[in-house]
Amino acid sequence: MAEISFPLPDLGEGLIEATVLDWLVEPGQQVERNQAIVELETTKSALELPSPQAGKVVRIHGAPGDTINVGEPLIVFEVPDDTAGIVGTVPKDEAPKRRVRLSAVLDED
Amino acid sequence: MMTGRHTMEQHRHTVEGTDPGLFVEVHEPATDAGLRPVLLIHGFSSSTKLNWVDSGWITTLQDAGRRVITVDLPGHGRSHSPEDLDSYTPSRIRADLLQIATDAGARPLRDGDPSTGLDVIGYSLGSRLAWEFGATQPDLVHRIVLGGPSSADPLAAFDLAAAQRHLADGTPIEDASTAGLLKMAQMLPSNNLFAMLSLIEAIKGEPFDPAEAAPHTPLLLVAGEKDERAATMPELASIAGKRGGMVETLVIPGRTHTNVITSRAFKEAAVQFLGV
Amino acid sequence: MSETITAAPGIETAAAGVRQMSMQQALNRALDEILAENPKSVIFGEDCGRLGGVFRITDGLQAKHGEARVFDTPLAESGILGMSVGLAMAGFHPIPEVQFDGFAYPAINQIVCQIARMNYRSRGTLPMPITLRVPSFGGIRAPEHHGESLEALFAHVPGLKVVSPSTPHDAYHLLKYAASRPDPVIFMEPKSRYWQKGPVDVTNPLPGTAAHDGDADNSGSLTGARVAREGRHLTLVAWGAMVSRCLQVAELAAEDGIDVEVLDLRWLKPIDAEALATSVGKTRRAVVVHEAPLTSGLGAEVAQLITQSCFATLKAPVERVTGFDVPYPSGDLEDEYIPNIDRILFGIQRVLEYRRG
Repeated sequence: MAEISFPLPDLGEGLIEATVLDWLVEPGQQVERNQAIVELETTKSALELPSPQAGKVVRIHGAPGDTINVGEPLIVFEVPDDTAGIVGTVPKDEAPKRRVRLSAVLDED
Repeated sequence: MMTGRHTMEQHRHTVEGTDPGLFVEVHEPATDAGLRPVLLIHGFSSSTKLNWVDSGWITTLQDAGRRVITVDLPGHGRSHSPEDLDSYTPSRIRADLLQIATDAGARPLRDGDPSTGLDVIGYSLGSRLAWEFGATQPDLVHRIVLGGPSSADPLAAFDLAAAQRHLADGTPIEDASTAGLLKMAQMLPSNNLFAMLSLIEAIKGEPFDPAEAAPHTPLLLVAGEKDERAATMPELASIAGKRGGMVETLVIPGRTHTNVITSRAFKEAAVQFLGV
Repeated sequence: MSETITAAPGIETAAAGVRQMSMQQALNRALDEILAENPKSVIFGEDCGRLGGVFRITDGLQAKHGEARVFDTPLAESGILGMSVGLAMAGFHPIPEVQFDGFAYPAINQIVCQIARMNYRSRGTLPMPITLRVPSFGGIRAPEHHGESLEALFAHVPGLKVVSPSTPHDAYHLLKYAASRPDPVIFMEPKSRYWQKGPVDVTNPLPGTAAHDGDADNSGSLTGARVAREGRHLTLVAWGAMVSRCLQVAELAAEDGIDVEVLDLRWLKPIDAEALATSVGKTRRAVVVHEAPLTSGLGAEVAQLITQSCFATLKAPVERVTGFDVPYPSGDLEDEYIPNIDRILFGIQRVLEYRRG
């Protein structure tokens, strides 16, 4: 298994930090991609952050009331070693299937 | 949200001749619970995206099987910033909301048919508009949820002259509420400041008077424990209660006017209150 | 380091330096060693630093070698390659990554007009020792721009070398070799093969050359093609992810009594014409397989090189089994687009059936 750490992403509008309101997931929990993981408050609004990927939560950073800077660690996931990364899926190695048969008279000249 | 959503700008119907160019979206649920649509009205200097999408409300309501109608108020989000003052008046906005809800398929309430009528959720300024909308559209509105509601009207008390002086030459604004609201309006680069001030000017012409017209429909009032703007929430509850409507209130511990919006307890209470 | 191609034949036991690794791990190890051995080498690209790459090829390298050697760039391929030009001029050995094949298009100007020509333009005073890693080809069900085959585009540009490994062993050695070169090399990694494990002999790039006399597996030098499977009747020419598919086809053809040789081209510029002549000179039949579209694909170049050397003895025109002349399709159509086993078998049958006159 490998660990993937995600930092607090750029929330736009020139924001440089956010305050944790409430965590919606906890270490050990399996989360799906886009599942809301944390409630955050910025100087402009409050928002729910969707999970950037599926995986098991290993660690969360920041208790309610703590301020986290953009780019600092927010959450760490455990993922299988053969996870494809951000895009695509790992191809399965399958036994070759065929429909075509070869037929030839080979003149060994 | 990637599927089942179609967007439109209201060009087909206009109210009283001019088109305020309000940006409307209808968010379809994956599985429709068969209940009436829910209209969401956001707060001052916010938007559908900030108030309802990023905060997780759309997915919560969709997961509950609700069809959701959102609209950006004039000068906010992806809506136009009309030049005329009338487009910003609360009465005109209510007329536009009625047209939008009708175009999106809301039909007058019929006894025994849960798909008829319209549920409304408002937040802050949106609560004021929802209160009045419910009061003036009793045949359409089924239930109302108000977030961070106030019986006072901070926008009507806004010192427009001081704000304009401040914008022109930096003269400090004495009134703390005015200074705070102006700062809020300036904070989002996407806000059109002219439109924000037009909205305030229009509201000053039609200030909020909750006793003048109060809804008779069931009401859920929700505010954060630390929400100073919503300190007058009990007053609103009392006004509505006197009209004979069912009123419930909910105070969310530890939350402020800004951050109560993402609260799970708020969302769950709203879904339950409207799910009848 | 640059002379590892002449490494002494393996007199030690073959197992001494052999480890099972995925191509992902082999590439990661190669980059780690390059950074340790060459203080001028720097690695950068989108998500290469903190995240360790979307395919984890640069995993752990920033933590180990520091943010000055391994770092993230903005999402701007023209900037990534433009910066590589400047770094190379300043004496560095950049190893930039373009995150996916299709993302190379915005950097074509920097690649074609600067990187490929700077040495020529400066009469040899400004060499460009740049190894551009490009996760390439299809097979992972990804969206647009994530499954394309640009080898013909790169190979057409004078001044560029192009290479694509098909095994973890070759990935390790070819990357180290490419990074040791004074010229720009486009290193096309078959992303659908990142996860498959295979033996990697880190001590010997050419296992089998002498110690296993007569065993042609892994034969050839680091600068040429590799006979992946020996056969008598027909040569399948392939590179990247198509090599393993051609090996599967060869096993199936054997069931029908056809003995297929598989030539893993490895270098797509320059192409090992001698290896083609040797293989097809023996088998007298050839099919080229690639994922890229047919028209003006590298298959045409390969067919011409074969015709040039083997025209008199060829039993049939060289066949091509390729992707189609359409934009790379969405993931659910990938199996129809990429040459599959039956399409390759049909190609073989067409060659076997060919009769003159």
